[in-house]
Amino acid sequence: MLEIRNLHARIEEDGREILKGIDLSVKAGEVHAIMGPNGSGKSTLASVLAGRPGYEITEGSVTYQDRDLLGLAADERAREGIFLAFQYPVEIPGVNNMYFLRAALNAVRKQRGDKDLDAGQFLKAVRAKLKLLDIGEDLLQRAVNVGFSGGEKKRNEIFQMAMLEPKLAILDETDSGLDIDALRVVSNGVNRLRSPERAIVMITHYQRLLDYIEPDHVHVLSGGKIVLSGDKNLATELEKHGYAMLGDAA
Amino acid sequence: MTVTKPETAPWLAAFKSRVPLAHEPAALTLRRETSLNRFAELGLPTRRDEDWRYTDLRPLDGKNLTAHLSKISEDIDINSYVLEDSAHRIVLFNGHWVESLSKLDKLPSGVWFGPSSNWLKDFPDLNMEILETSEFEGRQPFTSLNGAFFSDGFVLTLDPGVVLNRPIQILHVGQTGKSGAQHLRNLVRLGSGAQATLVESFSGEGDYWTNAATSIHLAESATLHHVRLQDEALEAIHFASVRATLGVRSKYDTFTLTLGARLSRHDIAASIEGEGAHCALGGAFLLRGQQDATTVTLVDHAAPGCETRELYKGVVDERSHGAFLGKIAVRPDAQKTDAHQLSRNLLLSPRASVDTKPELEIYADDVKCSHGATVGDLDEAALFYLRARGIPEDEARRMLIYAFTAEAIETVGNMALRAYLHGHLERWLAKSGK
Ligand SMILES: Nc1ncnc2c1ncn2[C@@H]1O[C@H](COP(=O)(O)OP(=O)(O)OP(=O)(O)O)[C@@H](O)[C@H]1O
Ligand SMILES: [Mg+2]
Repeated sequence: MLEIRNLHARIEEDGREILKGIDLSVKAGEVHAIMGPNGSGKSTLASVLAGRPGYEITEGSVTYQDRDLLGLAADERAREGIFLAFQYPVEIPGVNNMYFLRAALNAVRKQRGDKDLDAGQFLKAVRAKLKLLDIGEDLLQRAVNVGFSGGEKKRNEIFQMAMLEPKLAILDETDSGLDIDALRVVSNGVNRLRSPERAIVMITHYQRLLDYIEPDHVHVLSGGKIVLSGDKNLATELEKHGYAMLGDAA
Repeated sequence: MTVTKPETAPWLAAFKSRVPLAHEPAALTLRRETSLNRFAELGLPTRRDEDWRYTDLRPLDGKNLTAHLSKISEDIDINSYVLEDSAHRIVLFNGHWVESLSKLDKLPSGVWFGPSSNWLKDFPDLNMEILETSEFEGRQPFTSLNGAFFSDGFVLTLDPGVVLNRPIQILHVGQTGKSGAQHLRNLVRLGSGAQATLVESFSGEGDYWTNAATSIHLAESATLHHVRLQDEALEAIHFASVRATLGVRSKYDTFTLTLGARLSRHDIAASIEGEGAHCALGGAFLLRGQQDATTVTLVDHAAPGCETRELYKGVVDERSHGAFLGKIAVRPDAQKTDAHQLSRNLLLSPRASVDTKPELEIYADDVKCSHGATVGDLDEAALFYLRARGIPEDEARRMLIYAFTAEAIETVGNMALRAYLHGHLERWLAKSGK
């Protein structure tokens, strides 16, 4: 589904190279976890995959469903089924959450060849997913993420994901800032999306999330490279020894 | 002997060959001459005049501004501008009343609403109130010119205590193949405790010039909600001045959505003369191409315990230019004045520009006054967030522009009017689709 080869990326503004040759292969049906120290480039990788402006790809390639991903604009990628749950969801004053979600859903549906949902069908779909993620309906009447607590913002990301049903979901520290109950609810939401046709890449600092959403592969990203890969036991090792153990792995 | 500015000569000549109104009272003709002389003295403004510094008057060059537009026909399409919810309406075409499209039946008692030409005919002996406040403090040559040449307009007067619940609408339509002017003269007078909601729309086709002047008098505890939609033809020129006097505990709130005209200017001067009055001025301008729009507000607090709120939003795209000059003056006696003014602007293109100049002039010590101005680009992080959910870039941009502008429209209290403005904002945004 996703093939990343020798990906190098730098920040356009100051020319600093952040990704220094990433190789990663994600197949349909798989769940990958990416861990690694602060500032190692995890969010940058997620941003580059989602098409955020401001980064320059200097080397390497990314193919998604046998197409060159890097040639697509951010919104095209989303309509092709890529979803990024933001580490820091953006507040957008004046844009109503429901209105925004409906525009997004209809854009994605159009690409899939599905008809627009009318107001009634949309509301029905929304209510079902809200319940699943234990989100109050009042949250949707507000402007996008404005006045949401940290946890509410994260829940809203997963709620959007549940509505849009992406093929490849990239979750950037969705577990950070969630209380214990919320973590369970959000993990349930993610697990429901798991299917043989879909893939999930989750960036996290904590082993705990992986107890709820069991990964097939765990990678460690450090200094802009993937320095270590393994199965879920790698996360347990890391939890025990910290990133100091990278010293001999890298 | 006053000095006559040479550039006013064509107007002085045009005045001689002017066709007076039917039933024009002699007193009015005299007043017109006074206005004309005042205009001849002032001459056309230049960028050396502080008030006109940000307004490029070159689009006026080469236009036949002395020509008067005439009513070409009564067969005009006003459908996109009619407010369904309005109880009464006047249509003015090229500055002339179109009776067949107007709706003036069943006016409640205590209300006079109609074209100003009729008002002058009905009340020839009134003291020409319609021209009384024509000469603003400062330089307002176009208002003087309006006094000399106006052909028609509207008048609304309410007796004390009369409350109109549904809005009253005035549609100004301009249309010309060649350039020419429509000078509109309007008067609103509300007796004590009277209430009205007024919506004016300006639209048309061609490169006509609209020059409107409105006097508003609010007696004690009167309330006027005044909404303006300026959606003139893109080649047109639009000047409008509003002069309001606010009595004790009266309320005046006004909102203008500026979408049209190649060059436009809107001057509002509010004199707060009665204690406890409330004044809310607001607006949004959305410009593209080579459009240029200026809003000038002056709120003069002469009485204590009054409140002013101003919120203006500007969106400029392509090579357009917008300007906001807002002044709040607080006189020594106007203690406990509470005045806030905010001008926020969005630059959508590197070649577009905005000038904003908020100004406070305070001579009282016990007041709460503030002002602010911002100019910024579209929020890139928000734009990416929307796009990351599949929303195409141009739609995402429209959503953000809409949200930015809607905040100002939300200050309009009447729901039908808000919907009316939202509708026209959406129409404007739809035109920006690539
Ligand atoms: N748009 C940007 N402008 C400037 N610096 C950036 C930008 N994006 C990333 N960086 C820098 O790149 C480096 C990697 O950042 P990134 O956000 O990818 O780290 P991370 O692995 O996600 O860290 P964390 O675990 O703290 O979230 C950091 O030094 C960061 O400051
Ligand atoms: Mg990060």
